[in-house]
Amino acid sequence: MKDMIKVTLGLVVIFVAAGLIMGLTYMKTSPVRFIAEKKEHEEALKLMAPEATDPIHAAGKWTVHKKEREYYAATSGGKTVAYIADTAGKGYSSFIQMLVSLDMDLKIKDVNILHHGETPGLGDQVEDRKLFLDQFKGKALQQLVLIKGETKENIQAITGATISSRAVTNGVKDAVQMLVDKYGAGVKSAAGQGATHEVKHEHK
Amino acid sequence: MSTNSPSYWTIFKNGVFGENPVFRLALSLCPAVAVTSGVKNGTLMGVAVLFVMVMVNATVSLIRNFINPKVRIPSYMFIIATWVTVTDLVMAAYARDVYKQMGLYIMLIVAFAIVLSRAEVFAMRNKLIPSMIDGAGMGMGFLLALALIGVFREFLGKGALWGVQILSVKPLPIMILPAGGFFAMGLIMGGLNWIDRKYFGGTGASSGGH
Repeated sequence: MKDMIKVTLGLVVIFVAAGLIMGLTYMKTSPVRFIAEKKEHEEALKLMAPEATDPIHAAGKWTVHKKEREYYAATSGGKTVAYIADTAGKGYSSFIQMLVSLDMDLKIKDVNILHHGETPGLGDQVEDRKLFLDQFKGKALQQLVLIKGETKENIQAITGATISSRAVTNGVKDAVQMLVDKYGAGVKSAAGQGATHEVKHEHK
Repeated sequence: MSTNSPSYWTIFKNGVFGENPVFRLALSLCPAVAVTSGVKNGTLMGVAVLFVMVMVNATVSLIRNFINPKVRIPSYMFIIATWVTVTDLVMAAYARDVYKQMGLYIMLIVAFAIVLSRAEVFAMRNKLIPSMIDGAGMGMGFLLALALIGVFREFLGKGALWGVQILSVKPLPIMILPAGGFFAMGLIMGGLNWIDRKYFGGTGASSGGH
């Protein structure tokens, strides 16, 4: 019994010391990390609407996947030129964080993946612009349906990475839906036929 | 085994050549394949592992009389996890470009057999400085192995080195895939054994995990 107590106490001391080291490191590094991430986010926002000359400020907040995120109206000299939203999709092994920008017709200007933890070599292909990501450009809300086959009108899933593809598609769709709801009054192309979350299987 | 303590240089050299983690001990081969599709990632991973191994060996050696043998494995694991976490946090704050490329893999260092093995086989039985040097030698051996495999795979697989395109064709694209990675590793291992036998009079045999 006394032996067990000695062993346990020894372990506790090691664990507490290790915890202190980790805690201290976190204290020192997390401010630096936070500031760096904020700066990168601002730069990423600028890339989403490069023609906007004014600094981009948050226009409001919305919630997706239980986290509050921001959306923005990018302006040049006070005149709105694009809408941008922070969004996320539930991927295979992570939440895929993205930025989506819309032009004044509420069609997608650009999608940029900020962060993900998907499988290297499979799910991480969603970052590949030529293979997947650039498909979103120019599409409207009702076109954002994931197809497991060839399609030009909708979004073609990556073979072997359906879940990651779906995560990005849904994350983008949620963002576009939200921006359309907020800013869409009076824009014709916003009146979509209610896009659904299904994955269509095209059997040949 | 000699009865005199080996010199620091001998300990260090052992980690790079005699008992190279990848080509002799054949430990941590999976990560060695996973990150070596390019020279840059392989080398950066090697640097992270080098740091972790030096710190883990130092820590284990410092408290070696205090760790109860009955629970030494959990003790090693927690020490390793601590240093890997420190590496991850520091990288995320101060080396963001590298972290974007390597972030997912850094946490995996916790599972590397080579780190655990050296803690048990060397750091637990030796003083502080030799243990740190062993960690440095093994880490350096791992780094050089990864860099070498990375050069092989990136050049043959993509015709590039460190992201810089050198050839206009991709000679052997399979080198980018895991199958090609293991193949490359085996070829290099065989090649190094051959050189060892021919020019350095070595036996060229792998001594296994311990």
